[in-house]
Amino acid sequence: MIDAIQSLIVVAILASTLISGSLLAPYVVRVLTGTPTRLDRLLDPFESAVYRLIGADPKMTMGWREYLFAVIFLNVAQMAIAFAILVGQGVLPLNPQGFPGLSWDLAFNTVVSFGTNTNLQHYAGETALSYFSQMTAIQFLQFTSAATGVCVMVAMVRGLRPGSAHLGNFYVDFVRVLTRILLPLCAVAALVLVALGVPQTIGGYVTVKTVEGATQELLVGPVASLVSIMQIGTNGGGYFGANSAYPFQNPTPVTDVLEIYLMLLLPTTLIFTFGELIGKKKETRPILIGSYGLLAIDLAVAFLGSIPAVGPGIETRFGGFFSTLWTVITTASTTGSLNASLAGINPLGILSAYMGMLVQATPGGIGVGVMYMLMYVVITVFVVGLMTGRTPEYLGAKITARDVKLVMVAFLVHPIAILVPTLAAFATKAVDAIPGFSSLPTSVAFTQVLYEFTSSAANNGSDFLGAAANTPFFNFATAVVMFVGRFVPIAILLALAGSMIGRKRVAEQSLRTDGAAFSFVLIGSILLLVVLTFLPFLILGPLLAYFQGLVNFVG
Amino acid sequence: MSTRSSRWTKYRPVIALSILSMLVCGLAYPLLITGIAQAALPYQADGSQARLGGRAVGSYYIDNGFTLPGFFHGRNETNPLTASASGVDPDITVAEALSQVPRISNATGIARSSLVALVTSHEHWTLWVTGTPYVNVLELNLALIAAYPSSYPGYA
Repeated sequence: MIDAIQSLIVVAILASTLISGSLLAPYVVRVLTGTPTRLDRLLDPFESAVYRLIGADPKMTMGWREYLFAVIFLNVAQMAIAFAILVGQGVLPLNPQGFPGLSWDLAFNTVVSFGTNTNLQHYAGETALSYFSQMTAIQFLQFTSAATGVCVMVAMVRGLRPGSAHLGNFYVDFVRVLTRILLPLCAVAALVLVALGVPQTIGGYVTVKTVEGATQELLVGPVASLVSIMQIGTNGGGYFGANSAYPFQNPTPVTDVLEIYLMLLLPTTLIFTFGELIGKKKETRPILIGSYGLLAIDLAVAFLGSIPAVGPGIETRFGGFFSTLWTVITTASTTGSLNASLAGINPLGILSAYMGMLVQATPGGIGVGVMYMLMYVVITVFVVGLMTGRTPEYLGAKITARDVKLVMVAFLVHPIAILVPTLAAFATKAVDAIPGFSSLPTSVAFTQVLYEFTSSAANNGSDFLGAAANTPFFNFATAVVMFVGRFVPIAILLALAGSMIGRKRVAEQSLRTDGAAFSFVLIGSILLLVVLTFLPFLILGPLLAYFQGLVNFVG
Repeated sequence: MSTRSSRWTKYRPVIALSILSMLVCGLAYPLLITGIAQAALPYQADGSQARLGGRAVGSYYIDNGFTLPGFFHGRNETNPLTASASGVDPDITVAEALSQVPRISNATGIARSSLVALVTSHEHWTLWVTGTPYVNVLELNLALIAAYPSSYPGYA
């Protein structure tokens, strides 16, 4: 259990993300709707030059298929560039440590991982990646995958909006999200992080003689610029293998709180944009209550158990409380960065982490969190319609049998992408290739492999295994799961949005979706859906470990 | 020829925007931040290096690897089962520091009460209000050398 001061800290962090989100939302709406802002005089000429250079007509509009293909083509092309950089880093510049190129399967896993906003890492950055790779492969994809998340969300919302005729223009959305939201925010955050002690240099590792005269290498690099987009873009892939447990990524408790805040900032802001973008301000309410209500439940579950003391896997400056808090928020926002070793977190904290990754909307990843919550809204509208014997309607449109089939498929992608490869990893004995794996207790071993694929499918990226999973099986299996877990639900939800265009809308819905009552039914149905789907697996993993009395997951 | 040019028209935005976004997000942005950070905040940007007698001896944020009996030791050398998540945790709890006081006192002849007072005066709290009180090992040892130069000949 946590004490009063710690509870106050949690409340203060959530209150500040909610307040910042509501304040930032009107600006983000202006960016996404092309409404004039004061930045126009500065950025309009630059953006026009970009459209001319890439040969895209900014006035052209797209249907859902065009939008989706542009998204997938652009993301795959960006992954291809990053792949070439990672494989060829040995001959590329800015490599003062002289690291060789990555193996093909590891490079493939890495670019899919960062291109899908997952950031699962089967390598340790400080011993594998050059400065050039950290910047032009890793930071690059962290920006573009985050921007893509915002784009697909706004495209889906445009389709759902009554009276809309198209999903917008992907290239315009992508460029504006980068130039007007992500780059300025990250620049400010990066400089604040430097001021608070995070290094930012391309001068090479510093060799010193310690006080006692031993030789030590200080692993400095362009860290702050990466940490800012990694947190703001809900990416989570760290500069260092130990992620934000490594002091250069997260040197003090102050940077820790700032980094927690940054993970929640844009997902929360995007929730507040929903009502404005859809043209019905009150429709923000179920999304907001649903996501933050479930996040509160996650936090309660995690803090129900005993908080780990400073010990194995826990950094002294953060202690068990901030390590557990980070673990809950990083999975609830599907960011996936860590400030402790997951092995040091208690089983109820891990259970809560699973809940965040299985729901994916508390508030979820940047942009896609809102999309998943809309998916749950449609399912809930349908279920409530069945129970009350009324025609299910959302935003004035009738929810048809096809709509329900689409959202059910989008929902089922997730359990299939998690459970099938988890079983395959054990059935084919691929797990035996992980060093030291056979000596783990069964509940711990199962938890770690289930977590690997849950994290991949949810595009989260936190993991127990890390570089130990750098085997051909895990590199390819998790890459496929990450790709499917990212783009199949996006495709289905854009198809759903596209089919709403031109659909007849009624002025007065028989069931209101903007009230508190619906929000609570929404929370209940999400819990029911997720728990029913995954309970047997959670019992075999973290719940069994909890009842075995394991204090944490150190095998 | 016409199919080739229409194909180029179709794929040009994707290819050009991929390259352009790499140049802006992957090069221009981090290099700009590096430039500003190096100009305005060089101490932090280079890793918050600690100095002793004019030379850099490490970073306040990285375990300095003390092993001699006359110094406070970090938590990362002794036993992998007690290791931190990063493996370079620069801090130890106050309780851990106090448990090392007798050893340091024996090795240096500094009074135990003085060492306890030094530990207490360098105590940190997580966000000043919560967690287990801790000390930064490098900061503490540098303070030790500064306060008792005669016990640490050849260091200052």
